[in-house]
Amino acid sequence: MRLLLVEDDLMVASGIKLGLTDAGYAVDWVGSGERAEEVLRTESFDAAIIDIGLPRMDGLDLTRRLRRPDMASASMPVLILTARDGLNDRVQGLDLGADDYMIKPFELPELLARLRALLRRSQAATSSVLTFGPIELDTATRRAGARHNDQLTVIELGPREWTVMEYLLLNAPKPASKDKLLQALTGWDKEITPNAVEVYISRLRAKLEPHGVALRSIRGFGYRLEMRDTAAAA
Amino acid sequence: MNPGPIGAAERADPATAAAPESSPVPLQLPAEDLEGGHMLSGLRRRLLVMILGPLLLLAITSAWLEYRAAGGVTELQDQQLLALQPLLADSVIAGEGGGSPGPSLLLAPEVDQFLLARPGTSAYAIASAQGQLLFGESWLLAAGPAPLSRQPRFESSEHQGMTWRVVRQRHPTSLGELEVAVADASSPRQRWARAILLKVLLPHVVILAAAALAVHWAVDRALRPLLDLTEVVERRSPQDLSAIDLQASPREVRPLVAALNRLFRLVDAQAEGQRRFIADAAHQLRTPLAGLQAQVEAWAQAARRISPPGGHGTMLVPIEQIEKLRSATRRTSQLANQLLALSRADARSMAAQPMERVELKPLCESLLESYLDAASAKHIDLGLDVRPAAVPGYEWLLRELMANLVDNAVKYTPEGRNVTIRCGPTERGAFLEVEDDGKGVAAADLPHLLDRFYRVPGTQGEGTGLGLAIAQEIARVHHSQLQLESGVGGRGLRVTLHLAA
Repeated sequence: MRLLLVEDDLMVASGIKLGLTDAGYAVDWVGSGERAEEVLRTESFDAAIIDIGLPRMDGLDLTRRLRRPDMASASMPVLILTARDGLNDRVQGLDLGADDYMIKPFELPELLARLRALLRRSQAATSSVLTFGPIELDTATRRAGARHNDQLTVIELGPREWTVMEYLLLNAPKPASKDKLLQALTGWDKEITPNAVEVYISRLRAKLEPHGVALRSIRGFGYRLEMRDTAAAA
Repeated sequence: MNPGPIGAAERADPATAAAPESSPVPLQLPAEDLEGGHMLSGLRRRLLVMILGPLLLLAITSAWLEYRAAGGVTELQDQQLLALQPLLADSVIAGEGGGSPGPSLLLAPEVDQFLLARPGTSAYAIASAQGQLLFGESWLLAAGPAPLSRQPRFESSEHQGMTWRVVRQRHPTSLGELEVAVADASSPRQRWARAILLKVLLPHVVILAAAALAVHWAVDRALRPLLDLTEVVERRSPQDLSAIDLQASPREVRPLVAALNRLFRLVDAQAEGQRRFIADAAHQLRTPLAGLQAQVEAWAQAARRISPPGGHGTMLVPIEQIEKLRSATRRTSQLANQLLALSRADARSMAAQPMERVELKPLCESLLESYLDAASAKHIDLGLDVRPAAVPGYEWLLRELMANLVDNAVKYTPEGRNVTIRCGPTERGAFLEVEDDGKGVAAADLPHLLDRFYRVPGTQGEGTGLGLAIAQEIARVHHSQLQLESGVGGRGLRVTLHLAA
């Protein structure tokens, strides 16, 4: 994964670059919006992290420019960094085409989590395969499986189990609410009860368990996919 | 550099920061409106109009009445002159036989009296039908064309700088029909004009002038206490918010002085609160910063031993120290964020924005999502117990409030326990609640929990003592306050916020 970091503060930039490199990303760092625009004309990245408070061309301006249809970066995920958490800045950033924002100062694990979510979403938009850990759900062929050491083990899913699984994967690592799962299932049965959701969940649990993926109940809300060994990681 | 805590607080003092040496400048603009002279002249003008207006009207009315009365006087004068006519005509005596030189005049006593009473301002003339003067003064005949009938003719004419009232008439006499004219210059009209000037206008002018002077003086005198007060307030510096002496002020302005003193007290208390808060905040910031600095200084020193300043090379750093450094850094960041949140949640700045309808269930759900990872890391069961409810409020502030409560609960609840976020409708609105079954808070500490920078004695870990203070500030913006009590079975802590619909 190749990332573009646009940040003018040397300390912040070197910190982020170190953290991202350590997490396995290739990071290209530029210090100004003008330079970033130049680089984006010739090279492509999987995502960009852009600071709003840049000299001259600010981050919002840059975001608007790289979203122009003639730019290769038009659909690249963009995460905005800002030291101001005024509501206007957030809304403006998202309106201009940023996909997420973070308020400085932030903790590295949160940046990594958000970045992963962004990349997942952009992948999901371009490919038909939804993934979580070893789990793969090919929405084109409607085939589910678990990949271990490049070996894909097929997981047999019933149509309702598929619907629940697909919704869980689309939301991961965020939890999926029981209400929403119920809504997704009403396409199959008009009179479906909350108990039915629990039935499918427990069936899925049994099928995911061998692949190290847990389906955790979130009390009073719903369910969330988690890797069993690292419960906190998404 | 001034390292003392007092020095730091003083530099950050909002009063001195907002109004540097040129403090009179921002004060001068509003003060101008209250300026004594301006206030005085306005009142004076109004009082003058109110008092002099009616007085002037009175003067005009009485002058008009006087004029009406004078009209009657003129009529009387005409009657008198007319009555003298036959008497004057009878005063002409034809010569006896032919020997006598001609006709003679023997003035009737009434005519004589009339003439004697007005020396120089009365005259008469008797002329033949042909206009030839027989007796009296010739100018009277020149005043106008001779009368042709026995009808009396009244006219006014100027002579020797006086206005004369003249009555001319043909009268049968012993010499046949003659023209008789009687004139009176002691004109009541002129007397009236003079009288009006003296009797009516002059007193009124005097009264008007006196009233104007009185108003001027009275306004000055009556407003003196206000002007004195203005001067006292104007001379004040922003730092001097001591009370104005109530007893030394006149009775009439005491309510104003009392109100001013109350305002001074409030502003002073607020400024004092801010000063204390900034001093506390600076102090709190200094603690993690000191840790950071000590750590980095130590590394720099160790690095210098290995290689000269600016040189290259690597150094091993113990993992434990890095963890400490991260903890101190996070605490500093959190403190800065919370200080900002506190300033934004200020009731005064929020009053300007309208409240919106806030759905509480989605709010609680999104909070659960945000804190799920933190809770999972501590094996805390973070759950929801929510029913749909909506209240008017500021969504982002309520989110901030709940985030502080959930953050606290997750942070201070031991591993393996439960934290529950609740919301739902109540009789008079809705409620938001966060409950944990952790160690709880001792009854003695509960009242202090909402104080800024208060931390329960013996508390470990990151924390600024601001979270609940911010939550309480936000509750206040929503015209409510936090309720703190023990959770179910006397365990843990439950914080509830009731919101009005």
